[in-house]
Amino acid sequence: MTIYSDVKPIQTAIDLENLRRRISEEKLPQLSCISLCAGTGCRAAGSEEVRDAFIKEIEGKGLKVKLQVKETGCHGFCERGPIVVIHPRKIFYQKVGPEDIPEIISETLLKGKIIERLLYVDPLTNQQILYEPDVPFYKKQKRIILGANGEIVPTEINDYIAINGYSALPKALLKMSPEEVIDEIKMSGLRGRGGAGFATGSKWELCRKAQGDIKYVICNADEGDPGAYMNRSLLEGNPHSVIEGMIIGGYAIGASEGIIYVRDEYPLAVKHCKLAIESAKDYGLLGNNILDSGSNFDITISMGAGAFVCGEETALIASIEGGRGTPRQRPPFPAQRGLWNRPTNINNVETWANVPLIINKGAKWFSEIGTAKSKGTKVFSLVGKINSTGLVEVPLGTTLREIIYDIGGGIPGNRQFKAVQTGGPSGGCIPAALLDLPIEYESLKKAGSIMGSGGMIVMDENTCMVDIARYYTAFLNDESCGKCFSCRKGTQRMQEILTDITQGKGKEGDIELLEELASTIRDVSLCGLGQTAGNPVLATIRYFREEYEEHIRKHHCRAGVCKALVKSPCQNACPAGIDVPRYIRLINEGKPGEAVAVIREKVPFPAVLGYVCLHFCERKCRRGEVDEALAIKMLKRFAADHDDGSWKKNARNLPPTGKKVAVIGSGPAGLTTAYYLARRGHYVTVLEAERVTGGMMRLGIPAFRLPRQILDSEIDEIKAVGVDIKVNSRVESLDDLFNHGYDAVFAGIGAYLSRNMEIEGEDDAAVLNGIDFLRDVNMGVKINPGNKVLVVGGGNAAIDSARTALRLGVAEVAIAYRRTYAAMPASPEEVKEAVEEGVKLDFLVTPVKISRVNGRLKVEFVRMELGNMDDSGRRQPVPIKGSEFSGEYDTVIKNIGDRPAVPGGYGLSLGKSGEITVDPDTMATSRKGVYAGGDVISGPASVIEAIAAGRKAAVSIDRYLGGTGNIDEKLAPAEELTPFAVEEGERCRLPFSMLPPDKRKSFDLVEIGYDRNQAVNECKRCLRCDLESH
Amino acid sequence: MEVSDKKKEVNLLSLLREVQEEYGYLPEEKLREIATGVGRPLIDVYSVATFYKSFSLTPRGRHHVKVCLGTACHVRGSNRVLDATKDKLGIQPGETSENGEFSLETVMCLGCCAIGPVMVIDNKYYGQMSPAKVETVLKRQSEKL
Repeated sequence: MTIYSDVKPIQTAIDLENLRRRISEEKLPQLSCISLCAGTGCRAAGSEEVRDAFIKEIEGKGLKVKLQVKETGCHGFCERGPIVVIHPRKIFYQKVGPEDIPEIISETLLKGKIIERLLYVDPLTNQQILYEPDVPFYKKQKRIILGANGEIVPTEINDYIAINGYSALPKALLKMSPEEVIDEIKMSGLRGRGGAGFATGSKWELCRKAQGDIKYVICNADEGDPGAYMNRSLLEGNPHSVIEGMIIGGYAIGASEGIIYVRDEYPLAVKHCKLAIESAKDYGLLGNNILDSGSNFDITISMGAGAFVCGEETALIASIEGGRGTPRQRPPFPAQRGLWNRPTNINNVETWANVPLIINKGAKWFSEIGTAKSKGTKVFSLVGKINSTGLVEVPLGTTLREIIYDIGGGIPGNRQFKAVQTGGPSGGCIPAALLDLPIEYESLKKAGSIMGSGGMIVMDENTCMVDIARYYTAFLNDESCGKCFSCRKGTQRMQEILTDITQGKGKEGDIELLEELASTIRDVSLCGLGQTAGNPVLATIRYFREEYEEHIRKHHCRAGVCKALVKSPCQNACPAGIDVPRYIRLINEGKPGEAVAVIREKVPFPAVLGYVCLHFCERKCRRGEVDEALAIKMLKRFAADHDDGSWKKNARNLPPTGKKVAVIGSGPAGLTTAYYLARRGHYVTVLEAERVTGGMMRLGIPAFRLPRQILDSEIDEIKAVGVDIKVNSRVESLDDLFNHGYDAVFAGIGAYLSRNMEIEGEDDAAVLNGIDFLRDVNMGVKINPGNKVLVVGGGNAAIDSARTALRLGVAEVAIAYRRTYAAMPASPEEVKEAVEEGVKLDFLVTPVKISRVNGRLKVEFVRMELGNMDDSGRRQPVPIKGSEFSGEYDTVIKNIGDRPAVPGGYGLSLGKSGEITVDPDTMATSRKGVYAGGDVISGPASVIEAIAAGRKAAVSIDRYLGGTGNIDEKLAPAEELTPFAVEEGERCRLPFSMLPPDKRKSFDLVEIGYDRNQAVNECKRCLRCDLESH
Repeated sequence: MEVSDKKKEVNLLSLLREVQEEYGYLPEEKLREIATGVGRPLIDVYSVATFYKSFSLTPRGRHHVKVCLGTACHVRGSNRVLDATKDKLGIQPGETSENGEFSLETVMCLGCCAIGPVMVIDNKYYGQMSPAKVETVLKRQSEKL
């Protein structure tokens, strides 16, 4: 700590200005200055070792005169720590380790060369960023409060003075009256940054007007919200800004004593504050007759002891006074009777830090930042499921979308955003539909949350909102001081009910009871903790009620979090509930036949799924949070390819029931229903309209993804169970079926009526329905689409059409999709294979007109941009005027979605898009004895979802026909759970063999798969989530 | 720790903090001593001692393990890390293992959210924790699990 002893104490304002000038003049013309982030976060990531390495290298090379290492406070971009910024160019190095230091010194500092591997790479553009101001994370921020952190050593008061620190102090004390200071703060519109947002200037005024000679100002640094560390970084990184604010505040209010109450979990902040106070005292900026103004002010530090409630002002005061931190009744407010019963003004750390800025630059400047009622900037801690974790400072009024996506870089693993919690345990969650909400005090309250101190916890599809409500409620119950029965017992009861719900013990009426409890606790409790205790519960019920209902009624946790309801996230995500960890383990043990038996306990199509499943399991695989999800689908395929048929040993049909079931459609839904009903002893006939079986499995999915013999052999197994399949048998009326003696009917007739683009020229003969195109090719019809083909759409069917066209000899195939790459419903691996094969992808473009010119199709396009959000939380593409362009093609293939075409003769009630409406649990339609499942009830979905629907329908139909509905089979032998050791260390997925792109000209299988060694190796990456203790 | 002391009454919170810092916990005899020393009933002292989480009434182990359960760590799965830790150590949060080797505590936010889930053992920070890593990390401190 450097103090110029000939100057201390600084007697007058002029002396202070002289000192400021002297500091900047005496600044040695260093070769370079290294700003090393030493906030608590970076320290945890290893910045102390980096500092030691710098010191060692600099001393070792004798460079102390040329290089200065500044250990600063938190730079804010915590995700990338340890952070090193090289001045004066501001070269930004991230994730620096001690081993990088010799190179940084020899190359960058001495030769001016950039070390590329230490640069930040913008994931959106793949570009390396050289300089700090260009880092996207910082670019959109307005860092008037936190910006100084990177420039100063927090314990060096001279550094603070050099950046114009302590210039507001003389202005306030010598050129303004206390009332003028208060007016300036009032006019600025500054509102408390601790959470309540009370107008700071008015609060000061109340305290000034209160009766009493002795008054206090307090800085509330008891930052208790988990996940919020803005105040800590401010106190660690720039304590003088807070001190200066407090001295000015004390002057305005008439207090000569200030106390900083800081959590004891912040030892570094305490240390830096103490040093800052000492040096301010040394310079006479604290103490008596500051700068010859006649004003006195002193600051002491009081430490918390681990009680969240002590963030509440009256509890805080009780704690400073040495007792239990229980809140007191208000009125009287602390402004009237606070610490030691004297008028006290309490403000948050960030509020105090804003004061010198407002005094220096004026209320007008401040009030031009932010919105009408929420002025200035706010520092937020952006944490949780976010790519760029860190501290973000933006003008109030910035939207959540800008913070989470433009600054935060979106959700890791491209997962889906679900909600963001603001205001900590006293706040509520904001869902995707409200991402464009501007962040202001009022708008957040209206949405059911609060601004709070600034914590922003981002949550994704793998977060269970019921669990979140339970978590926050448990926290509040733990931290409740106990004084009010409503808070103490109310939060306890809410916690108990929520815990029951997460364990599958919830009851009808629990949701309503929670709502009642939450409202009552809010209305009856004494302090802010109790009054906001209901917010997390009320907000999650408001926006995520279905999740509560699923937990209670179906014992299902869609996020895969609630341990009592979830064996493993993969199994939980599988629509058919296949026991994934078990079959992975069996493959690892070299028992693929038993693995197939496990799979077949839930689905009759292990091989088909192994080739084409959309693998919802992989999306939830926890390994994906470490490095890369397990290749579950490919492992399933390996097992199926090496099946030994041992599953048949334990499979049997029940004795004949004498009941007859008609299944319409031989797609996955129909065949699955048929299989299980045959096992239950019923006589099942499958009536297929086409001349081949398999539905979309044969007519939609190309052979290079699903070889025909694989499909045939699995259908043969279904026939072997006793299912009778009749092809060329279209069904137009259900009455006919019942008249023929069938006791029940299942309709699995799919959805293959092509949607229209609704544009001129769509009816040209060379504009094909993609679904019909695929069907024709799969049926062996000879098609010549010409030399240049355009496919419109972005789902798997569009990709299939494009790749099929290539294999028919088309030289140029392009796909036009109206949204972005990220929004494409198609599986990323299919898209990748298409691109490898030469398909050209064009995004944010849509055709608007087709005409025939010179024997070819002329397609006119318009470019799109993303506009406002729709209800699904996605931004709608809107055409850009004047961006029209055109292209020529021989054939245009439409794959923009399909609808069911249910014959009127079925007499069933249908939905908006022509789908059959069913009870989601029983698959029962509006007609007695008639059930439905698969694409016909949902629109185009997936094989696995159709199979899952088939299972549900089989259960219901069996019950309807007098059976128990128990379709479970035990096909795999019973076994001991032999946990294998989970392998540590990061290792991405083993790539499987594929046909090289130049060999993919025919309809031969492209993904060749794993061999035995590779499969076993891949299994070893499984984290065995099923073994975690419950 | 200094606190402006205007009232004549002694600051119980400060006294307890001093004991906690010296002994690593609040021994019962010390609580009784304080009660007698300041002329207050033991229940008053006990009441403040049990209100604040920073104070412990039981001695800590040779290695003190903290698992962060802050919200950012929670959404990243810290409760599973805690379960694995409880499993491996055989104790609940707030307890010390029988051989005195390890004690376990849960904390609500260390402010290192970027490297969450976080575990701290004796002031050493371990980031990106998972249930699979718990045993290795604990063994690094002491073989006597």
